[in-house]
Amino acid sequence: MAGARRGLPCLLLLAFVFLGSLRPAVAIPAFARKYGLPCSACHEAWPKLNVFGQTFKDNGYQLMNDRDSPIWQNPSYWPVTMRITPHWHRESVNKVGVDTEAGFNSAEVKTMSHGFDLSGLDILSGGTLYNNISFLLVPSFENTGDAFSFESAWVRFDNLLKTPWLNFKVGKFELDNIISEKRGMTLSSQGGGYQLYHFIPLAELVNGSPVINTFVQLGDNQLGLEVMGHSKNDRTRYSVAVISSNDGGVNLPNGNSYSTYITASQAFDTGKLGVQRVGGYFFAGEAPTFYLQQNGANLAGTGTGNKSFHREGAFALFYLKKLDFSVYYQHGWDSPYFGTGTGANQTLPDGARAATWNGAFVETHYTLNPQLIFIQRSEFVRMSQQPLPGIPSSFGNIDAYTFATRWYPIMFSRAGLALHGEYSLVRQQGAAPVSLTSLTGSSVFLGFDFDF
Amino acid sequence: MRAKLARWLFFVVAAAVFALCATSWGQESQGMGMESHIGKLTGHARAGAPLYRRFCIGCHGSLGDGEGENAMWIDPKPRNFTLGIFKCRSTPSGTLPTDEDLFETIARGVLNSNMPQWRPLTDQDRADLIAYVKHFSPRFVSEKPGPPIQVPPEPEVTAERIKAGQATFKRIECWKCHGVEGRGNGPSADTLTDDQNRPIKPFNFHDTDRFKCGASDQDLYKIFMTGLDGTPMPSFMDNLKPDDAWDLVFYLRTLQPMHTKAKDIAQQLGLKPINPYAPAK
Amino acid sequence: MKNWYKCAGTLTVLVLLGLALLYSGPSVGAGSGGKITGTIKLEGAPAHQRPIDMSKDPVCAQQHTGNPVRTETVVVGPNGGLEYGVVYISEGLPAGAANAVSSQPVTFDQKGCVYHPHVIAVDVGQKIEVATHDPTTHNIHPLPSAGSGNIGWNKSQPPGSPPFETTWKAPEVAIPVKCNIHPWMHGYMAVVKGPHAVSDDKGSYTIDNVPPGNYTLTAWQETYGTQTQKVTVASGKSATADFTFKGK
Repeated sequence: MAGARRGLPCLLLLAFVFLGSLRPAVAIPAFARKYGLPCSACHEAWPKLNVFGQTFKDNGYQLMNDRDSPIWQNPSYWPVTMRITPHWHRESVNKVGVDTEAGFNSAEVKTMSHGFDLSGLDILSGGTLYNNISFLLVPSFENTGDAFSFESAWVRFDNLLKTPWLNFKVGKFELDNIISEKRGMTLSSQGGGYQLYHFIPLAELVNGSPVINTFVQLGDNQLGLEVMGHSKNDRTRYSVAVISSNDGGVNLPNGNSYSTYITASQAFDTGKLGVQRVGGYFFAGEAPTFYLQQNGANLAGTGTGNKSFHREGAFALFYLKKLDFSVYYQHGWDSPYFGTGTGANQTLPDGARAATWNGAFVETHYTLNPQLIFIQRSEFVRMSQQPLPGIPSSFGNIDAYTFATRWYPIMFSRAGLALHGEYSLVRQQGAAPVSLTSLTGSSVFLGFDFDF
Repeated sequence: MRAKLARWLFFVVAAAVFALCATSWGQESQGMGMESHIGKLTGHARAGAPLYRRFCIGCHGSLGDGEGENAMWIDPKPRNFTLGIFKCRSTPSGTLPTDEDLFETIARGVLNSNMPQWRPLTDQDRADLIAYVKHFSPRFVSEKPGPPIQVPPEPEVTAERIKAGQATFKRIECWKCHGVEGRGNGPSADTLTDDQNRPIKPFNFHDTDRFKCGASDQDLYKIFMTGLDGTPMPSFMDNLKPDDAWDLVFYLRTLQPMHTKAKDIAQQLGLKPINPYAPAK
Repeated sequence: MKNWYKCAGTLTVLVLLGLALLYSGPSVGAGSGGKITGTIKLEGAPAHQRPIDMSKDPVCAQQHTGNPVRTETVVVGPNGGLEYGVVYISEGLPAGAANAVSSQPVTFDQKGCVYHPHVIAVDVGQKIEVATHDPTTHNIHPLPSAGSGNIGWNKSQPPGSPPFETTWKAPEVAIPVKCNIHPWMHGYMAVVKGPHAVSDDKGSYTIDNVPPGNYTLTAWQETYGTQTQKVTVASGKSATADFTFKGK
């Protein structure tokens, strides 16, 4: 496990990059302004969509009443929304590797940092270009200064052959996750995202770069094309996406490999309780395991030795009037080449096998009214098979808990403001950098989330 | 002395609270007991109130008067529910629509307006919303919906019927507003105003396969028979027999962009637009 | 408990009294009715009445060749007599007289793409017969004000249609009527309780069957609004009340 120590700083760095980018992206007052509907018409409490908002999205940002084309808009209408969240937060990690006289990274201490902060700025531009042609463009500016990227950029052709069952999208987009992380109700660095949407077996991370299967994560926006369809009232829906295994990175950083994401769900009208939805998904693909080398470094775009992985599971949205549950289950499988950090041009170590795991989360919302919502989420990931025999079976298991509340002092159709409070705690077995015991991080988050 | 004062204060506060509760309860009960009945569904205004606040308030306003915060930016304007006047009815002009009429209206939305299709909501939610929408107008307390018109079974479309429908189109002068080809450009089209004196355009049949009040032949039949209250579109039920009405439906179907059997027949006939000023044969 | 009975007793007496009043009304009005006569005049220049361009519907225009119809917002006869003024008793009528409904229907005709007469006055509940004599389709579209208790409607009358009857539920002076197909067509239906009259082309009017009493009389004209005055009617006598509106 010596490699573990080398890998861990990298892991922590990775973890922070993921968590830092896990901001919900879509709550768009520009749409509310366009149509005159209050935020609450499309959002249970923004940014979480309700059935009406989901249908609007699935129709290609259209209400389907011949007023969707931009020709109906006042020329001064600007389909742009900005969102940022000034906040105070406190981050605490119980075991951080520090240098002592014994050497680099040789002891663990507890750290805590707190202060006033900013989220990155989201600029969301979306809408229709014409009847049945929609787009979304989300340039993302990180608060660190120099990073600029496109979080989303796609164009979609809606209602092909005059049926809602056929819509075609190309560009960089969020995979069709009904439980959308981009519309997540939690914001803190520990609790802002879903672990399962980004999970990589810890053993895989510590066994050595560069062969880590970070290429495709469910929660990250991906570059590819999607065919999506739904019934008129959106009760039945499906999506098939073919994406490059580049995890949304531009300029083909990895190689010539593709993945496929397939999901379908069915909703049921249960009278006074609400609309219940159940569905499943299957995500499978290939990713490179080694690259041509140039001056000792990977040559971008030359990834080869493709090996496979898959994730599959089920999800459900249950409503009991004001109380609702988002339930998610995942089984994951990564080729032994990823799990052991082996390029396909080398031989696998003895006893190498696929890394597999099971995970689930339940997120509960109590929407007292469109202006006050309470949120809870419990998430668990359990390794069912480690890539190498010697690794403890619980290595990399995650327990995560998040509690949050959002209060929207105003609710109308021009802008949104929410007072957001959140506490979250994440514990991962074996992730402590020195002792390889469990690592616990927690966040406290208090801020104003606004968009306009 | 102090205890006395405290007790006195307590009574004053208690009385004030009671009075407040009593009045607010009184207000709340005003019309909030309203129900809607759609098939087996029963909607309750009280359950509809939070839904109205969530979905409708931006345009129709908290008082249901169509003066929501966005009303000024919207054209056509949102409906003023306090008047109890609705376009899409199966009932005669000047009477209230049935609960089913309203229920269907919010499901399909209103074409060429900002009113979306509310199909994604549950039937129960829409029934509750209907009850709440009704509670805004005292008409729904004092009056019953008009008797729904009977739409007889649709006859077979024939060349004779289409020709007869065209003659009716000419005779009852649909073309005065809708134009000789049904393009919404008749001689009176430019001057039309709704009941609030706002300009309004007649329907252009060549634009779309749907109408404001539905898409089926039966919907079309109801539209011209009952009229669209609040607009210049009058009721023709006193002037058209069911057979005439079906003829007219078939003729109007030849004007629309989609493929219909009526359109095929019209093409075979070589049907030309009417010439309203030609002498009658 | 005792109070309860007292209350009920008082209530019964009140109800009986009310009923008595209701039924005594017509009997007072019947035999000894007086009347009110007078003239509505306009002082000063009347508002200009434009000739109506009916060229959008040749069928209408043909009926007025060489002699275009003018608008009728102010129609002045000889000596400044103002036509189409509605005069009615707005205060002081006993319930019986106020609630009496004439059984005679009033005709509201469409002829030459103009309403004949331009203004009618009816009792609440009195029948109005809407007729057409035009070879063109009209739609009759009354627009009562919100909250008046009257509900608008919109019915078509193609050429040759038989007349139809309609009534109004609540007093309202006056309900505008329009035809959307012929936007120049404007008329009014004044709905009142009790005896009333519409001034003729000389501006004079006569209100018959007025029970003796002291009343407030109101005159309404579509352009100049309302005026009121007090009038006393003696049994079997005729009282006079003249109104003068000022032109601008």
